[in-house]
Amino acid sequence: MTLGFELVELTEGERALQQEVRAFLAEELPRGTFEPGLGMDAPADRSFSQKLGAKGWLGMAMPARYGGAERGAVDRFLVVEELLRWGAPVYHHWTADRQSCQVILRFGTEEQKQRFIPAICAGDLAFCIGLSEPDAGSDLAAVKTRAVKVDGGWQLNGTKIWTTAAHEADWFIVLCRTAEAEDRHHGLSQLLVDLSSPGVQVNPIPFLDGGHHFSEVVMTDVFVPDELLLGEAGRGWEQTGNELAYERGGPDRFLSTWTLVEQYLRDHEGTELGERARELTGWAVARFWGIRQLSIAVNRMIDRGLAPAAEAALVKDLGTRFEQDVIAALAELHDGFASLDSQSLFERLLARSILAGPSYTIRGGTTEILVGIISKGLR
Amino acid sequence: MTVDPLLLETAERVFADTCTHDALERAEADGFAPGVWGAAADIGLPWIGVPESAGGAGGDLADALAVLRVAGRHGAPVPLAETGLLAGWLLAGAGLAVGEGPSTLVPGRAGDTLELVDGRLVGTARGVPWASAAERIVAVVTDGAGWRVVALAPASSGIERVRNLAGEPRDTVHLDRVEPAMSAPSSVSPDELRLRGALTRVALMAGALEAMSTLTVAYTAERRQFGQAVARFQLVQEHLVRLAEDAALVGLAADAAGRSAVTFEVAAAKALASRAASTATKAAHQAHGAMGMTREYPLHHLSRRLWSWRDEYGDERHWERRVGELAAAVEPAGLYAAVAGGFQGAPPR
Repeated sequence: MTLGFELVELTEGERALQQEVRAFLAEELPRGTFEPGLGMDAPADRSFSQKLGAKGWLGMAMPARYGGAERGAVDRFLVVEELLRWGAPVYHHWTADRQSCQVILRFGTEEQKQRFIPAICAGDLAFCIGLSEPDAGSDLAAVKTRAVKVDGGWQLNGTKIWTTAAHEADWFIVLCRTAEAEDRHHGLSQLLVDLSSPGVQVNPIPFLDGGHHFSEVVMTDVFVPDELLLGEAGRGWEQTGNELAYERGGPDRFLSTWTLVEQYLRDHEGTELGERARELTGWAVARFWGIRQLSIAVNRMIDRGLAPAAEAALVKDLGTRFEQDVIAALAELHDGFASLDSQSLFERLLARSILAGPSYTIRGGTTEILVGIISKGLR
Repeated sequence: MTVDPLLLETAERVFADTCTHDALERAEADGFAPGVWGAAADIGLPWIGVPESAGGAGGDLADALAVLRVAGRHGAPVPLAETGLLAGWLLAGAGLAVGEGPSTLVPGRAGDTLELVDGRLVGTARGVPWASAAERIVAVVTDGAGWRVVALAPASSGIERVRNLAGEPRDTVHLDRVEPAMSAPSSVSPDELRLRGALTRVALMAGALEAMSTLTVAYTAERRQFGQAVARFQLVQEHLVRLAEDAALVGLAADAAGRSAVTFEVAAAKALASRAASTATKAAHQAHGAMGMTREYPLHHLSRRLWSWRDEYGDERHWERRVGELAAAVEPAGLYAAVAGGFQGAPPR
């Protein structure tokens, strides 16, 4: 096996950061004053994100000259881990912090970096992801959205789909075809698109629970100025591969159902758990502990400049399937009945997780795609 | 955690050279592998982690577990865990001589009746590894007032030969008023002993899972059907990936649990390892097809050991209940922080 997981020991500074985030959350967002989220499935709250930005906890790895904290992937892991397990409203900054700022830093022009990164680090700007299309899901190179060169910019036409939070975000990074090529991985480019541009229409796609989480984004003759081409024209495929490679190994891939476990234990505090309850909560807690070590190890590898694409995919596969198993385990333990309308927080969380659970192993790379990536890493 | 790479290279060489397919087969038939033992003992591997002052080879717990993991990779059919990390640890801790040659340990299974009555050992102990090949059998027993570490010569007991699924001796020892060769008060309770035993099995299992993953990746890359390597089929890739996940998860859990042997981390690691033993062997065998079911192909050396070690010193449900109890004893608001910190600093319960 060629996978390179190594046990991570936190430094004093990293432990201090953990304590600081815990204290901030206890102060800023006391339990019982908000409806906790399920991992990244949490409300968008611009003012909360701005508070995180003020603490230096968004775009943590960004250079100081762009408003970043110049800290690493492990630091970001520790902050995000605390936010997610707390059920904090992280959605406003979620995509911008996790991946948009990274690709802009890596491929953007100096002007783009100065324009976008400080605003992301401050929690002002929300981004979403413009990859999937009606006929291009896991097979991303099949995108049909097309940008044609016009005077001073690009004219963009096409449709993106499953775009999470498009109705709330400010910008998205669109993967589109800018040239025909024999190899369909060539001739793709990334454009930074203002969602309030003329010709951009966001059509909600009702989620199975009736809510509005993702949308279809139709772009009709949208003008994108030259200065918003991200990276090199024709290199969009490589840039996108990079964008997806490492974000997969983060704490959002195993913590989506932690609040469910914690709430179950809160509801049973002071009562003796039955044998099956001890067994299943113990099973879950042991796995949280174990998968967490793998996830943090991926982030240490990123800080060391390694390229843990297979390791990150492994964490996502293992972690997201576990998130789903947790739902089944707690549903087994619970006698009552899951409902979004329940008076019981646990029952509401259970209902929400049952309804959203299947998405865990789909979003950000399906299990089937991950298996291909991981097995390449095993050769 | 830094283990001397030279130590690991040496251990790897010793076990790779001696734990051949034939040697493992012979060990099953004979009940011991003197060649493997001799090569390991010559360079002190069984006594790593036991202080030199007590007759050990020095080194710390992490070193000893790392060597054990290498042994697990090769299915070394010798009482390596028992000699140093278990019996050696108990004897040294009680101020008794560790001695030469292989030692073994009474693991203390439910239903055992061993006790010290008027200074003599009476009762039955089961699952004693390599009891007849050992120089001494060590146990923690009650004398009615407290726990004592005792050691006795195997010849003074009645040994009934029993093997685990991997053909490793896990003998039943009958004692009828046997005076122990050595005896001293023990600071280790049977619960602590079980935890330590579980830690040794986690290290062995981490090694076996690693080896199983490597073996299965290699086999499926070579084996061709329908004109291509079977590893090209997505359904086969899924087996390889699930197996690699189990190996990675248990590998890192073993490292974490070995750092300071905190109750929570050992319990969680054994829960993960025992559960992985089931899922990983299933995936590995399915990926190998009929070849993996033969005596000739080496997969069974690993899978039969994993099935055996899965249950030794507590199966997954035992340790999951234990983790559940530890979790329930923490205030829920502080549980995540406790888990993230591995319950370090929490008093062992």
